[in-house]
Amino acid sequence: MLQPAAPRPRKIIHCDCDCFYAAIEMRDDPSLRGRPVAVGGRPETRGVVATCNYEARRFGVRSAMSSAQALRRCPELIILPPAMEKYRAASQQILAIYRDYTDLVEPLSLDEAYLDVTGAHHFRGSATRIAQDIKARIARTVGITASAGVAPNKFLAKIASDWNKPDGLYVVRPEDADAFVAALSVDKLFGVGRVTAAKLHELGAHTCADLRTWPLVELQRHFGRFGLRLYELCRGIDEREVSPVRVRKSVSVEQTYAVDLPDLAACLAELAPLLEQLAARVRRAGAEGEIHKLFVKLRFADFSRTTAECLGQTLDADQYRALLHTAFSRGGLPVRLLGVGVRLDEGAQAPQLPLFGA
Amino acid sequence: MLLIKTPRDKILSPLQSVCGIVEKRHTLPILSNVLIEKDGEKLTMLATDIEIQIKTHADGAAGADKAAVTVGARKLQDILRSLPDGVEVSLTMEDKRLQVRAGKSRFNLQTLPAEDYPRMAQADQSQAQLELTQRQFKRLLGLVQYAMAQQDIRYYLNGLLLVVTGEEMRVVATDGHRLAFASEELAESQARTEVILPRKTVLELSRLLADNDEALNIRLAPNQAVFRFGDIELVSKLIDGKFPDYERVIPQGHGKIVTVPRQTLLQSLLRAAILTNEKFRGVRLVLAAGSLKIISSNADQEEALEEIEVDYNGEALDIGFNVTYLLDVLNNVSVENVECRFADANSSALITLPDNSRFKYVVMPMRI
Repeated sequence: MLQPAAPRPRKIIHCDCDCFYAAIEMRDDPSLRGRPVAVGGRPETRGVVATCNYEARRFGVRSAMSSAQALRRCPELIILPPAMEKYRAASQQILAIYRDYTDLVEPLSLDEAYLDVTGAHHFRGSATRIAQDIKARIARTVGITASAGVAPNKFLAKIASDWNKPDGLYVVRPEDADAFVAALSVDKLFGVGRVTAAKLHELGAHTCADLRTWPLVELQRHFGRFGLRLYELCRGIDEREVSPVRVRKSVSVEQTYAVDLPDLAACLAELAPLLEQLAARVRRAGAEGEIHKLFVKLRFADFSRTTAECLGQTLDADQYRALLHTAFSRGGLPVRLLGVGVRLDEGAQAPQLPLFGA
Repeated sequence: MLLIKTPRDKILSPLQSVCGIVEKRHTLPILSNVLIEKDGEKLTMLATDIEIQIKTHADGAAGADKAAVTVGARKLQDILRSLPDGVEVSLTMEDKRLQVRAGKSRFNLQTLPAEDYPRMAQADQSQAQLELTQRQFKRLLGLVQYAMAQQDIRYYLNGLLLVVTGEEMRVVATDGHRLAFASEELAESQARTEVILPRKTVLELSRLLADNDEALNIRLAPNQAVFRFGDIELVSKLIDGKFPDYERVIPQGHGKIVTVPRQTLLQSLLRAAILTNEKFRGVRLVLAAGSLKIISSNADQEEALEEIEVDYNGEALDIGFNVTYLLDVLNNVSVENVECRFADANSSALITLPDNSRFKYVVMPMRI
């Protein structure tokens, strides 16, 4: 009997510009080169670092770190305000380059995307050559460097692009994938954060090879639903498709306050303007009919965070107040960041047309 | 000190007029109370929720002196309501308590000081003074209030737009999916004024206004509206916001016009509504020469089909609506026939009353 042919391995490229915002700033002001640079909010307005260059990273500055802390680690750090228009323009150029090779481009952010080049005919279908070409064209047209990873799936491509950063290119061939993953530290697995990593180490699993000795039931016992994902990832299995149209899953608005909101009443007072912005954003996204859940997100003064959500189809101010009550009572501390949002469910698309357009 | 001694209804009915707005739970405990003020033979009752304040009075108070006290509105109402009809009731202040007596019943209620009761300051300047009958305004409200939004984040939709322009008063309500418009002629010309009355004010006015020809006086100020009718004075804050441009969404020149008997359409829709999807409540209206079909189906693939004979020769149309929006308008107008105008399946429908340009209902379709 004929065996079904093994599916042709896919060729996925993950492309990621190196410290994108900072790179654009250094491109436009060469005097910044060689000095520690970050793009983000001012420390006095309690901003955070969005991106920083490698010079800054040497001092221990990281993205998402508060600017104040970054300055403590690196007093010479130059913090520039984000110039989103400029970054967006660069992003458009980069996306256009990606789309020259395939329509299967899934942007993850302004500078990062997955490409499925399985069917591409450029360079006789060599994904490695395509990745090299993309890197060269980004350097030439945009004036910054990018790193790329080439692999048979998204998970490995993403790890590969990070392998030789900056300006790197790393290829995981289908035949090498198994050995590559086996040697991989479990910390590198997608979805494994600090907490899960610590738990895995505690259980004696340091590399994916260690993890492979675990039966699926055991993984599920320790990690619940994530157990199956771990079981697959440590074997290099990732069937996720590159999907050019990213389905919007939620719409939200949040605000970090210059001075912590001291109590529930202060939070409630800030709710109305946020909800107004949210309503406008939902309308602009044409997502009014797809609302499935409402949520309120809080980050407390100690940086702990919580999210309260409930089912709902309309932006009901009373529901948001109730959610805020719930979320606030979990921390009971002054509030640093307040966010409101809706989760969308495409299937729930209400077909009702609005009277007043966006 | 005796405040009043009178048949039960003489106290209960003014009390019920003011207490409709009292919130069950409020952060300020005194707001669950009603203020009772005696000035000679006049016994004034006043309640507020900070946004709205209603005042009325009972006659026949005892003696010439003055007194004021606040007492739990709901409890006092419940006590009076459960007493037998026509029984003589007396309210007496004793120390810091209010005593209610009727026959062999006695109730001692705790009070809070009248000085602490919040009152709304009346605006001194007014933009417009209108005079119409209670019936006229009650009817206007009834024609549109069901279309107001409820707890919408677009807070300005949680109310009713009142426009005074020349010799016309217009009321408009919309929840963003449908819009109801009604107008009425005024006795004298007025400067153009637009205000948004809060939803609660509108519902309360509807409840309190009588269906008679007695006068209603409306005074509009920049952030306040005052309604005086019968023995009642209602002061309401206004919603500060920009109401959407209603004139822009009232369609002109929709070519597919059909007149339908209101009751027939209402009954058909009510039956079809039984088999609609519970969440979206969609029905299809299929218009063809001589016939209007109403079709619904639900998630269990159950189907309803209703057909109404109509005088129509225009182009065919297949359009979907939330059945609730259609039922609302049909339930709130009292005419033989309604006129429906359509353009296409993605455009609004306009429902009007024959030979009457003073009422318009616009509803957006659903994609089914």
